[in-house]
This record gives sequence, C-alpha cells and structure tokens, in this order.
Amino acid sequence: MFFDTGPADTFNYMLLGYAVILVPIALLILSIFTRFRQLKRDLVMLEEMDA
Amino acid sequence: MKPMPKTLKALTWFTVAMFVAALYMVFIYAPREAVMGDVQRVFYFHVSSLWVGMLAFLITAVAGGIFLASGKHSWDQVALASVEIGVVFTLGGTIAGAVWARPIWNTWWTWDPRLVTTTIMELIYVAYLMLRQGIDDPDRRARFAAVYGIVGAISVPITFLSIRLYRSIHPVVVGSGDPTATGSFDMTTRMTQAFMFSLLTFTFVYGSLLWHRLRLQRLNEKVELLKIKLLSD
Repeated sequence: MFFDTGPADTFNYMLLGYAVILVPIALLILSIFTRFRQLKRDLVMLEEMDA
Repeated sequence: MKPMPKTLKALTWFTVAMFVAALYMVFIYAPREAVMGDVQRVFYFHVSSLWVGMLAFLITAVAGGIFLASGKHSWDQVALASVEIGVVFTLGGTIAGAVWARPIWNTWWTWDPRLVTTTIMELIYVAYLMLRQGIDDPDRRARFAAVYGIVGAISVPITFLSIRLYRSIHPVVVGSGDPTATGSFDMTTRMTQAFMFSLLTFTFVYGSLLWHRLRLQRLNEKVELLKIKLLSD
C-alpha cells in the first residue's frame, strides 16, 4: 500500500502525441479541400474562356 | 467535374462516425495502463498511423506495377495519391512514437532498428515526391515514379520485420519479441478492442482520403489539359 505510486502522470505527453498525429491529418484534409476549391475556380474560368 | 459520388459521400460520413467512435474507445472505453499512464493511449493511433503509411506505400508499389503493365495513367494517379497520404501518416506516427518514447525510454530518439527503418522508409517516399517534381514529361515521370515506388516498397517489410529480426528496444504488439524491449504491456480485452477498431478506422480514413485525393488529381489534369488547349488555340 505504501509503495503503490499508481501509473505515471503522462497526460501531457498523451495530448502532445495525439496533436502530432491529428494535426498533420487535418492539414492534409484542409490541403485537399483548398486545392479542390481553387481548381474548381480555375476550371470555371478556363471553360468561360474556351466558350 | 462530376459532383461527389453518393458512395464517396456515404463513405466519408461513415469514416467520420468511425473516427468519433474510435476517439471514444481510445480515451474512455479503454482503461488507463497501470504503469505508463495516459501516454500509453498514444499507442492506438501511433500504430494505426504507421499501418496506414505502410499500406499506402504498398498500394503505391502495386499501382506502379499496374501502370507499367497497362500504361494507364489513372494508376499513376493512384500511386501519387497514396504516397502523399502515406507520407503524412508515417510522419505523424513516427513523431507520436517519439512523444511516447520520451517518458517511457527517457529519450525522444534512439538509433533503434524500428525507428531507423521507419525514418528511412519515410525519406524514401519524400524523395518519391521530389523525384516527380523534377521530371516534366508526364510519361517519363510516371515510369520513373512507378519503378521508384516498387523498389522503395522493399523498405516496408524491412521496417515491419525489423523488431523481429534484430535486437530492439521497441515493443512487439503481435507475437513475441525481445524480452529487453521497453514499453511492452499486456493488453486487456478493452485495449485490444480499441486497438483493432482504431486500425479499422484508420483503414477507412485512408480509403476515403485516397478517393478524395484521386478526384483532386483528376480535376487537376482536366484543368491542365484545358490550359494546354487554350494556349495552343
């Protein structure tokens, strides 16, 4: 009982670990979305020029 | 550009729901590990991220092989889309591993076989993206990238098997590993369920992202062709 210190306090490391996984994924999704939107705008403009 | 297929919409929403469920399982359903504490929870997404990375690089090799055999550029598009996703997930998974290592191994980095081979695998495919940027001719670019992607895929089984072939401090999740590995833990039933569900969720995340990224690539090619057509008129 006296020597049971319980699990280590590593909560902040857990948060950091999830941040470094989720942030790049979020950036990838944002990048795909942003590039898609830009290309759609380009396509509309080019199709108008082609018409 | 055709509107988003209903199947892709359904897949995307299903993947989002799975991801939310995975977060619940990881943070609430799975118990806190008795020795490592909360940082052990990084394991679920750390392994899942690296699984997606390896899967993505293997898909790249397969797509490259099919491109070389068939000559259809759509397979080159699959290879490129898969590498982009694989690089991001491998990077996140590797750094998350370092974050987990800090309190457990008392170091952010060690020249362990698993860490080194994973980093090499990541750098191989970063170089794949750089190689593509350096070649203007689309046919030549696709052929070079396909060959490079196939050869580079040798790094995937080497990375996976590194902890089984060499003495490593990195724990082995499936099967028995080096008894000197630090950070191993016995998984309870709930931990195993959360782990398996995370793996499945990340596989769906990969599938969804691949499809979205492919649509982006096809739109990009359509815009490029239209630009060429307007310039030649």
